[in-house]
Formats: sequence, C-alpha cells, structure tokens
Amino acid sequence: MSTSTFPVSPTTGEPISTIARRSRLGLWLVIVADIAGTIALVISYTYLWSLNVNGGWAPPGATLTANQTNSTLPTTPSTATFAVEWPFWGILLVLIVATALMWFGYRSARSGNHAGLIAGAGLSFLVTVAVLVFQWIQMSTFPFGAGDGAYASAVLLLCASNIFHLFLLLFIGMGIFMRARKGLIDKTNWYQAQLASYYMTWVCIAFLLGAILTTFLVESPNTDPAIFGTFKQQ
Amino acid sequence: MSVETAVETKTIFGSEVPQPPQHGAAGGVMRGLNFGTGLVGGIGLAAVAGWITAILTPSSASNASFAPMEPTYVYLAVLLGWVVGFMLGIGAFVGPLRWVVGRDVTHADAEYMAGKDLGRKRYWKYTTDHKVVGIQYLIVTMLLLGFAGLLAMLIRTELGMTWTSLFTPAFYNSMIGTHGIAMIIGMIVVVSGPLGNFIVPMMIGARDMAFPRLNALSLWLFVAAVPMLVSSMFMGGIQDGWSVYQPLASQAPVGMLGYQMTIIVFAISTAVASVNLMTTILTMRAKGMTWSRTPIFVYGIFAASIMGLYAFPFFQYSQILGLADRVFATSFFDPLNGGSVWLYENLFWLLGHPEVYVILIPSTAVALELMPVFLRKPLFSFNFAVAGIVGVVALSGLVWAHHMYMTGWAPAANYPFMLSTELISIPVGFLVLVAIGTFWRGTAWTRLPLMAVYAVIFNKMIGGVTGVYLSDVPADQYFHGSMFVVAHFHFMLMGAGLFGAMAGIAYFFPKMTGRFLDERTGSIGLWTAFVGFQITFISMFVAGLQGQPRRVLDFDDQFNLSNWISTIGAYVIGIGMLIFLSAIINSWRSGVIASSNPWGSKSLEWQTETPVPLENFPVLPVVTERPYNYGVPDPYEAELDSIDEDLTEKAGTK
Repeated sequence: MSTSTFPVSPTTGEPISTIARRSRLGLWLVIVADIAGTIALVISYTYLWSLNVNGGWAPPGATLTANQTNSTLPTTPSTATFAVEWPFWGILLVLIVATALMWFGYRSARSGNHAGLIAGAGLSFLVTVAVLVFQWIQMSTFPFGAGDGAYASAVLLLCASNIFHLFLLLFIGMGIFMRARKGLIDKTNWYQAQLASYYMTWVCIAFLLGAILTTFLVESPNTDPAIFGTFKQQ
Repeated sequence: MSVETAVETKTIFGSEVPQPPQHGAAGGVMRGLNFGTGLVGGIGLAAVAGWITAILTPSSASNASFAPMEPTYVYLAVLLGWVVGFMLGIGAFVGPLRWVVGRDVTHADAEYMAGKDLGRKRYWKYTTDHKVVGIQYLIVTMLLLGFAGLLAMLIRTELGMTWTSLFTPAFYNSMIGTHGIAMIIGMIVVVSGPLGNFIVPMMIGARDMAFPRLNALSLWLFVAAVPMLVSSMFMGGIQDGWSVYQPLASQAPVGMLGYQMTIIVFAISTAVASVNLMTTILTMRAKGMTWSRTPIFVYGIFAASIMGLYAFPFFQYSQILGLADRVFATSFFDPLNGGSVWLYENLFWLLGHPEVYVILIPSTAVALELMPVFLRKPLFSFNFAVAGIVGVVALSGLVWAHHMYMTGWAPAANYPFMLSTELISIPVGFLVLVAIGTFWRGTAWTRLPLMAVYAVIFNKMIGGVTGVYLSDVPADQYFHGSMFVVAHFHFMLMGAGLFGAMAGIAYFFPKMTGRFLDERTGSIGLWTAFVGFQITFISMFVAGLQGQPRRVLDFDDQFNLSNWISTIGAYVIGIGMLIFLSAIINSWRSGVIASSNPWGSKSLEWQTETPVPLENFPVLPVVTERPYNYGVPDPYEAELDSIDEDLTEKAGTK
C-alpha cells in the first residue's frame, strides 16, 4: 500500500493531472456544443438580415436610406428603431475585464500567489455581476419591443443568450471564489480556475460576435425583398 | 445538524488517498432523494408555477391574432416547473451546489452515489454508476418506444379501417406527430443510451465514465423530457408532423409548447451524454488500446456523439426561436414581420438529417461488433469500416437540404445537395460491404444476435437503395410527401436501427443481466416482427408509388388494398415485438444463467466477471492485440513456437 506524494482525486484516487486533462477535454467539447448554438443564432440573424422578408427586418420606425425598404406594418406611426451600437461594445469591454481578472487569478494560483487567486476570482465575479446588470439595462431600454420585426427579434435573442451565459459565469465565478477561499484551488490543484478562464474567454468571443452583428449588419442589403405571406396591398 | 467526522485517508486501489471532511453519513442529502421525491418535486413545482402564472396573467391577455395567451403562459410555467422541480427532487443540483460551497465529495459519498450496497433501490436514484445508468436508459427507452408503438398501432388501425373514421382529423394528426418525434427520440437513445453507457466503459477497459454525475444528469433530463411530450397530446397535440414546420407550429394549439420544451431539454441531455462519451473514449482507453485496437462499436458510439454534439444545438435553437415567436411575439418565422419559414427548415434539418446517422451508425456498429464473434473470423477490412463511419460523419452535415427540394428554397442548391446525398451512400455502402465481407466464408454460429444482423442487412439495403431514389431531385418531385418516403425512412430507422438495437440487446444481455435472452421466444419475436415489417412497408412503398400522400386521414379507394395489407403487417409487427419483449422480461427474471463470457468474445467487456463489479476490473487491463483476431494464429504464440523449435533443435545438436 502506498501513499500518493502528488495531489490525487479523493473519489477515484487518480492524479489530479489526469482529472484535469479529462476535464479540459470535456470543457472543449462543451464549448463546441455552445459554438454550434451560437452559430445557430448568427445564422438566424444574418439570414433574416439578408432576406429582409416583406421589408420586415428593420423596426417600423427606423429611418432608412433612400433605397431601403421598411415594413408597412403596423400602419400606425411607430418610434421603434435600431439599437445604439456602443452599449454592445461597452458590455463586451467590461466582460473582457472580468475575464482578464479570472486569468489573473488562475495565473496567480499557478505561481502560488493564493491572495492573487482569491482577489482575481472575487473581482471577476463582481465585475460579471456588473456585466449582467448592464446587459439587463440594455435589454430593458431598447428602442423596440419583441414584436417590432426580425431585427428586434434577433437582437433580443442575442441578448437573451448573453444573459444565459452570464448566469453560467456567475455560478462558475462564485464557485471558483468560494473554493479558492477554502484552499481547494491552489498551486498544486489549479485546473478548475484554468477551465473557468477558458470558458470566460469563449463567452467573450460569443459576445464579440453579437457586437459585430449588431454594429456592422444593421440595415438590410436587400432593397428589393420578397413580398409574400401577407395580404397587404402593393 | 450534521456531525462532521474527520476522515484522513481512504484506501483506493491500493493507495492511501487523503479525503475531504465527511459531513454526516455517506451520500449526505442524496440518501433521502429518489424518483419519488423527483415526482413530488416536479408535480409540486409545476402546480405552483402554473397557479401563480394563472393568477398573474390577465385573462384578457391575447396575442396579435387575438388568441388568448393565458393557456400558453400557464402551460409553459407548468412545463418549466416540472423540469426544475423534478431535477431538484431527484438531486441533480446537489453536486453543483456542493461544488460551489466547496464541500467536495468523498470516496464514501461517491460510492454511495454509485449505488454501492443499495440493491435495487439504486435504479430509482440519481445513481452515477454507468452500468446502472445503462439499465435505466434501457427501461425508459423501452417505455418510450412502447408508447410510440402504441400510437403506430392506432394510426394503422385508422388507416386500415377505410370504411369509417375512428379519430378526428386533429387527433389523428396529433398521433402522427407524437408518434414520429417519440420514435425519433427513442431510436436516437436506444443503442447509445443503454449500450453506450453500460458497455463502452468496459469495452475500453475503464472503471467508469469520465464524468459519472453528468452521466446521471443526461439520463434524468431524458426522463424529465418524456412526460412533457406525452402531456402535449392532452393540450391539443402536435398536429403538423414530427418536423413541426413553421408557420403551422406557431398557429398550432398550445400543446406545441410540450414538443418545444421536450426538444430543448432533450438536446441538453444529448449534449451532456455526447461530451461524456467522447471524453471517456478519448481519455480512458486501456493501455495498449490504440485506435487500430479499439472495437468498432466504440467508433460507432463516438461518431454518434460527434454528430449529436454539433447538430443538436441547431434543432434546439429552432425550437427556442419557435417558442419565442409563440410566447414573446418575436418574428423569426413569421413572414408578416420579416421572419422566414425557410430559416426554420434549415435549422431543423441541420440536425434532422445527421440525426438519421445518429440512429443508424451505432446500430450498424453493434452489428459489426458481434459478427466476428459469431463467425469466428476477423471483421472484414476494419479500416474500411472506420473509413465508412468517418465518411458518414464528415458528410452528414452537408446533406440537410435534400429534405427541402420541393420547398422552393434555393433551387440552385438542389443539385449540389443531390450530389452530396448520393456521395454519402458511398461510406454507408462501405459498412454494408464490410458486413457482407465478414460473412464471406465465415462459419456462422447462428444465434439470436446474428439472426438480427441478417434482418439489419436486408432492411438496410432496401432502405439505402430507396434513399438513393429520394436523393435525386427529379425522382423526389414525384415521391416527396408520399407514403414512399414513409416506407423508406422506416426501413432505415426501424428496419436497420431498431433491429440493430435488438441484435445489440440480445448480444449484451448476458453481460447486463447475468442471464441469456431466451433464444426460442426471442427468435420467434424477431422473425415475426421482421415478416410483419416487410408486409407493412413493402405495401407502403406500393401505396407511395400509386401516389398516396402521407399524413392524410381519408384517401382515395384505390389505396385501400395496400393500406389493409400494411395494417395487417403492423399488427404482426406488434405481436412480434410483444413476444420479443416477453422474452426480455422472462429471461431477465428467470433466464438461463450465463457465464461471464458465454460467446467466447475477445473484447474487454467480456473478460470481467458477471455480475460486473462496481469498479468493472479489479486491475485495469492492458490490450496487446486487435479486437477481432478470431481464427487467426496468434503471432506471438507462433513466435514462441518457433523459439521452442529452435531450442529443441539446438538441444538435439548438442
């Protein structure tokens, strides 16, 4: 009978490095599934943007360039228009700060700086809370509602996806912070902080894709959209 | 109040392993949680959520079409309450919460959660042992397939009684949609769930799955999803087929929410299971198990996991978008406000077609896995089999639009998709050729599992050939939406998929239960179902060639004869399946006891004792040869023989 000199899993007795390798691969695969879901959203956004079915892409009150088409529905005047772009980038920027803090915490753990780990994870958690608040404020102050056309639908769902990701990050961030405080993440067992950093980095990329879409693909390029499925008069 | 007991170390496989503090009895709060508490939690939270939503929703709330919104909100709240409450009640959130607060699982906790010393109770709990999860998957899948099969009987009864109508058109449509999606879900799971979980870890020489708690999560999410699908039948049903095309889905009764929530939850279950299986296969294979020594069944499960991982999110998001259209009045699929129904069809079929291979590849792989055992010769061209599986995975994501030839979406894309669809028949053909090549000059030991393989090969060839017709745009113009299509995909999904699953269950039954599956009763059931299957679906091909459209309740008299024959065939299938089911139940209860390796197989899962111990292998195995070296002289033994001869000669010369 031997006693391990390196950190091992209390449940299986395997070296932590083995568990870490397995968990890392598992996380990459989770990210693959998450990427597929994000691609589904990107496809939805770009598809509807490019088709501009019935001229219904833009919110009904949006001011368009001369050759653009707007939906004629509803017939009553509407103030619904495109969202301001900069908040998407602002939220992304704050999320990048939260991610950088988590990376700092993870690096600190690897180098044996336990206080740095706790500070990094804790601050990352707090900044993620701020991102969630900003995202919520942005969603609740959009100049359109869910029923104001395809653009409004696509943007709202991108933001809903962001909020889902942020809740996941809050859960992970809180776990890393609490575990760091308890000494369960340290110089010899840091892989969970590493995985949290990886996942946060991917979430930043997902937010970036959303910001790119909502900044550069706003007015539909289709100025002569198909008109069908409605009974409106031409 | 829990008593904290300091446990310093625990002996695990000969090593002293430091343990975190043990809080109370092993298992903690999980000791009191089981399927019953899950039901209480699910029903309780569903009732509370529905009640609160009913109070909060103004009765005058309506959507743009003036349809009342209260039933939609209440039903959605009930479904969400059910899923969250059930998962809460069964203990799915205990692990994550313990992780957050830093109360790590001890070895004793892990053993309790794996079901050690719990007897039959472990099948009713959030058990992490892969063998228990495999059995749980088997039971739940059989129940789901039984429900879907019952609907099939009712559908065929309706279609066979050409002189009258048993059901209203709405209920008939609802049965068609529910039967379709229930069968699809059941068939996706029927091999990968029970056999993927029970067999794969042992087959690769591992002690468990990579993430045991995720294993239990995937199973219980699946369990939570099924009642939502069934509930939709009582809420107006799924009336526009299993594919729930838009905008019909948005205009359908509120029961559509049951479908959408089922898919959303089932997709999470599939993703979790795929991640777990892939990680297990990639990182936990036994020493010496190189890719050329990895059994073909493992390749099949790995391939299905890849396709499930990348394709299911598209299906999931198609339903999230559809749900948003219905509940939040967004317009992803509503052309009136800039949405597109083609967007739905693309998202749907991006999973819809790979899903065919998620079903087919594992069932084909299980057939290829057992053939060398019963033919006592190596798998014919193992590399071709692997190439076939890789080819299918590679092309599976490039063929989805062949389901949309007739929708008017991108007519210019029809021909590239026709080409890619015809291309995929090549790797599928590889797999059939490998099967035939393995039979070639083999001495067949014709037991029940091999009989099922005969059925798989026959059905797959018919399904495959008719699929080539359907992939051609000109032919599809005639066949699209007809009973010919229905017959084709039943030959693939049921004929190859379900009969493959029957082969796998018959083959692995001794390892899973410690008893043989009754050969006589099982064979009668198998061949009865096979004969009934041919009667039903060959006749359906005829009806399709005559021009009978699918999903139609009342049809012209010229289709009567083929429908009568199909209905008689369907009843024969039902009888055959019931006989096969009785063989499973009776054999499980009182079948002939099997030894640990009754088929004389060379793969690892048969080298451990039966019943399989909790840790699978007392000592982890080392693999030194390919898995199918039957009937081939062992080169190592030949080498030893030659050394012996050399030594004898040298001794003689001295």
